Amino acid sequence: MTGVWQARVTWRLAAVMALAVMALSLGAMGLQYRLIENRLMAQARALLAADLDGFATLYDQRRIIALREAIEYRAAAASGGEMLVLADRSGVVLAGTRGDWPVLETSGDGFAVDGAVRFADGGQDWLGVSRVLPGGFPLLVARSLQPVTDTLADLRRGIVGLGIALLGAGAAVGGLAARGVMRRIGRINALADRVAAGDLDARLPGPRRRDEFGLLEGHVHAMLDRIQALNRATHRLSDTIAHELRTPLNRMMQKLGRIEGQEVAQELRADMRAAVRVFDALLDISRAEADQGTGGLVPVDLSAVTSGVWGLYEPLAEDRGLICQAEIAPGAWVLGDGNLIAQMLSNLLDNAIKYCAPGDQVRLTLADAGDRHLLRLADTGPGLPPEMAGEAFERFVRADRDRAKPGHGLGLALVRAIAARHGARLDVPEVEKGFVLQIGWPKLRV
Amino acid sequence: MDRILIVEDDVETAQAVAGIVRDLGCAPVVCGTLAEGIATATGEFRVIVLDRMLPGGDGVSAIAGLRSAGATALILVLSALGRAANRVEGLEKGADDYLPKPFEPDELRARLRALLRRGTMQGFDNDLLVFGELELRLKARTLHVKREHVPLSPKEFELITYLARNAGQVVTRMQLLENVWNLHFDPQTNVVDVHVGRLRRKLEQAGSAAIQTARGEGYVFAPLGPEQAAS
Repeated sequence: MTGVWQARVTWRLAAVMALAVMALSLGAMGLQYRLIENRLMAQARALLAADLDGFATLYDQRRIIALREAIEYRAAAASGGEMLVLADRSGVVLAGTRGDWPVLETSGDGFAVDGAVRFADGGQDWLGVSRVLPGGFPLLVARSLQPVTDTLADLRRGIVGLGIALLGAGAAVGGLAARGVMRRIGRINALADRVAAGDLDARLPGPRRRDEFGLLEGHVHAMLDRIQALNRATHRLSDTIAHELRTPLNRMMQKLGRIEGQEVAQELRADMRAAVRVFDALLDISRAEADQGTGGLVPVDLSAVTSGVWGLYEPLAEDRGLICQAEIAPGAWVLGDGNLIAQMLSNLLDNAIKYCAPGDQVRLTLADAGDRHLLRLADTGPGLPPEMAGEAFERFVRADRDRAKPGHGLGLALVRAIAARHGARLDVPEVEKGFVLQIGWPKLRV
Repeated sequence: MDRILIVEDDVETAQAVAGIVRDLGCAPVVCGTLAEGIATATGEFRVIVLDRMLPGGDGVSAIAGLRSAGATALILVLSALGRAANRVEGLEKGADDYLPKPFEPDELRARLRALLRRGTMQGFDNDLLVFGELELRLKARTLHVKREHVPLSPKEFELITYLARNAGQVVTRMQLLENVWNLHFDPQTNVVDVHVGRLRRKLEQAGSAAIQTARGEGYVFAPLGPEQAAS
């Protein structure tokens, strides 16, 4: 799941970089294009000015006749790159590279290049002037812009091609870089996933490179070593505590066995059992807190476990005068430790029965709630005293009013630890009367 | 005389266990280390009482080795590793019973008796168990007292079946919790008593006083009267 998101970020970065490089290059090329276009147009204009200067000189010498001869001569040797038309007062063409007057309107007189206009004719672009010479002779001098447009078209094609190539190269380089980064981040993510799944021994193989990723891997490994050492210490400690405390307790128990028929012996046994229960609960809590991920968890039918524990406690609750009700949806499977779950439910039901008075209701439901199985235990008993609302799940926390009741204040702490062990969400919604506890169990994905 | 092997490094405990074994009319053999225990276990024993944190290793880890070496005795693990998780682990790794320390002598006695009995009752798949006027049909899951059908809940039936299979012997609450409810922890309240009480009332209404409270630690199913229970 995280892998996909990681990939998206890296790919997005690569794409943004490729696009940025392409945009910058295209900007630079666009500027150059503009420059070349201006230069080429200036050149075309200079050629047109030279033509016009030539015709002006001829006109100064012999007026229309000279112009007509020059245009006829030029038209005979036409290269197609120029358009020259001279007409008379009535619009009849006297000489020219073509027999008719093109669309261009005449404007002004004289041979100045200023006011040259760009127009289209015969599928080409032209730059030219059309003037009316004294006596009413219209004259058109134009040069084809075809070489300019051809060059510019070539340039545009070049730019487009280069842009595509740049995009491709950028994408390739970005992709390679992203893949490199992703591969190395992916390694660390895969390691984190394995650790989260309970494999505390997992480490990245091979030597570490001396770069940021190498450093990160080093940090992660150091953290894992520390967690593993703490975890081992917890496990070892619980075994040692068990052995070192239970062995002498056992000797006492055996010696008590030799005292026959005395009530005090029976009481001592009960006290010893209570002591064992306290440190068992403490060890259970620290083990559940130390164990991580799904290691040691198996598919468990939560419905069956819940029904079983409910069945065990229901008669007792009824005997105590409580009104019991259970709605347990079948087939709620979770990844868990059935024994721990049973222990947790037993603690909760034990509490409910202990604190409720005859006539109170105890209601247990297990239902489907979207992505979770929701287990809810509600009673109409005294509820949590307000002063311990925030810390009811801490170890050894008991309300002052309950001092007289048996118990050690570890039940709810164990409930919380077991819920955390299963990734279940623990919730104590506020209610007017009584105590409600909700546990949202992650569903087992088949 | 049946022999029972005790693999236990704590001398005091070993002596206490040996005493209980003698009470049951068996001969105890005590080993102080795991290696010694494994070497001895291939002999002719009915039950092996096995500690866990022994010099030389964990008794539970050695069970598979014991079995493959040919030891056929039933194994009762007696260990200071007594949390629910430890017990389940022990049973999953092949122990036939698991009793946490500190244990009460009566509890160990009851469990050893159950194991010894299990060893002798091989063909126990017969459908009908008859105890005088009380008839238990396992396949049909019915109980008749004096030819009258006694309606039982499924759990009550499992409860009376377990009691009947250990008829005449003390069965502790812990044994009932483990074998009938498959729960391996110690609830704070004696929930089992309520269930046994209900079953007992049903039997009494039908005219049978088969279930009796045993002094101290549990119940006895003695449908034929106290003489049978004592035997």
